[in-house]
Amino acid sequence: MSRMPEKRTTREPDARYARPDASMSLLTSVMDNTLDDGYAEAARRRGEYGTSRMPSAGRGRLVLAAGLALAAVVITVAGVQSHKAAPTLAKERQELVDRINTAGSSADRLQRDIERLRSRVATAQQQALRSTGEDVRLQELGVLSGTLAASGPGVKLVVDDAADAGGTEGGTDPREAGGFGNSGRVRDHDLQLVVNSLWESGAEAVSVNGQRLTALSAIRAAGDAILVDNRPLVPPYTVLAIGDGKQLAAGFRDSVGGRYLKLLQDNYGIRANISAQGNVDVPAATGVTLRYASPDGAGTGGATP
Amino acid sequence: MIAVLGLVIGVVVGLVVQPEVPDAVVPYLPIAVVAALDAVFGGLRAMLDGIFDDKVFVVSFLSNVVVAALIVFLGDQLGVGSQLSTGVVVVLGIRIFSNAAAIRRHVFRA
Repeated sequence: MSRMPEKRTTREPDARYARPDASMSLLTSVMDNTLDDGYAEAARRRGEYGTSRMPSAGRGRLVLAAGLALAAVVITVAGVQSHKAAPTLAKERQELVDRINTAGSSADRLQRDIERLRSRVATAQQQALRSTGEDVRLQELGVLSGTLAASGPGVKLVVDDAADAGGTEGGTDPREAGGFGNSGRVRDHDLQLVVNSLWESGAEAVSVNGQRLTALSAIRAAGDAILVDNRPLVPPYTVLAIGDGKQLAAGFRDSVGGRYLKLLQDNYGIRANISAQGNVDVPAATGVTLRYASPDGAGTGGATP
Repeated sequence: MIAVLGLVIGVVVGLVVQPEVPDAVVPYLPIAVVAALDAVFGGLRAMLDGIFDDKVFVVSFLSNVVVAALIVFLGDQLGVGSQLSTGVVVVLGIRIFSNAAAIRRHVFRA
């Protein structure tokens, strides 16, 4: 902020004393040249450098006033414009929020309708089957196939990435640096093994992060996320399994998946915790469609989801 | 005196007329405001430095606005309009700050 502009304009690059900040000349000139050079030039031209404080002639004053008026108009118009635009923006935003709320509540209402109709269907089904004693079997099959929500004693298994797992750059080796990059991350393959071992240990119904698993469920990976039935999961992964709690937990610990999980815990810092629960609730599977049905002639058929 | 009158007239005109700003110009309004402030502070500082010139003031104001708008327009065409407006605001902002500091030194001697 030198107040001697002429010094600035006559500064010649000196070959002997290269400026240490020569590479930042753009920044330096931005910081230094804050005043239009035209002022200094015009003053020097008139030969009244440092004395022309205000334009004295009538025309000069008029020009100054016009310039100031122009600046004031620009600033005022901008202020008025943003003042005018603010309510419009707020109104548009509010309209969008209202639309989201309306759509959300209508979706909720439809969901409630679905649930009501579903329970009516279930009741009607049970009434129709009660006479033949088939309703108990239907219940059992529903729980096993995943079309009915189930609750009962079971285990809760929480698996989470290692505390220091973060990066996602990777090579080709699945465990060392796969699509999941860091070796401290839980992969779809790990979760598959764990869930299969739970089934093996006698689980009757399993859900992962609130997603009920059926015979046709897939645990896969897309990018960095684990998908269950094409729905992405967010760690920690909570696996709920219904079965005889203590026995299931003990069985799982000795199973392939349990030992594998222990290995992951010891070697990669993946966090896992299994506990027997008095009561766990697993929801019904969504999107189960009836694909195949046969007349129950021999007593072995029935519907498979 | 006439300068203050000009300011007042400008504000009044802006408030009374409330011109309908075309949509195409609206994005350049903030840039124009910053350029105008830069010119005003620069002029004030030049006045205190004793080198004020009314023609330079008006021409620098107009050219600042036009060049700043041009840079932003070019940026819009190239798809980097917001970055370039940030650049313009930063450069003009630095100038406003240092000119304001120079004015402060003149006025308060501190």
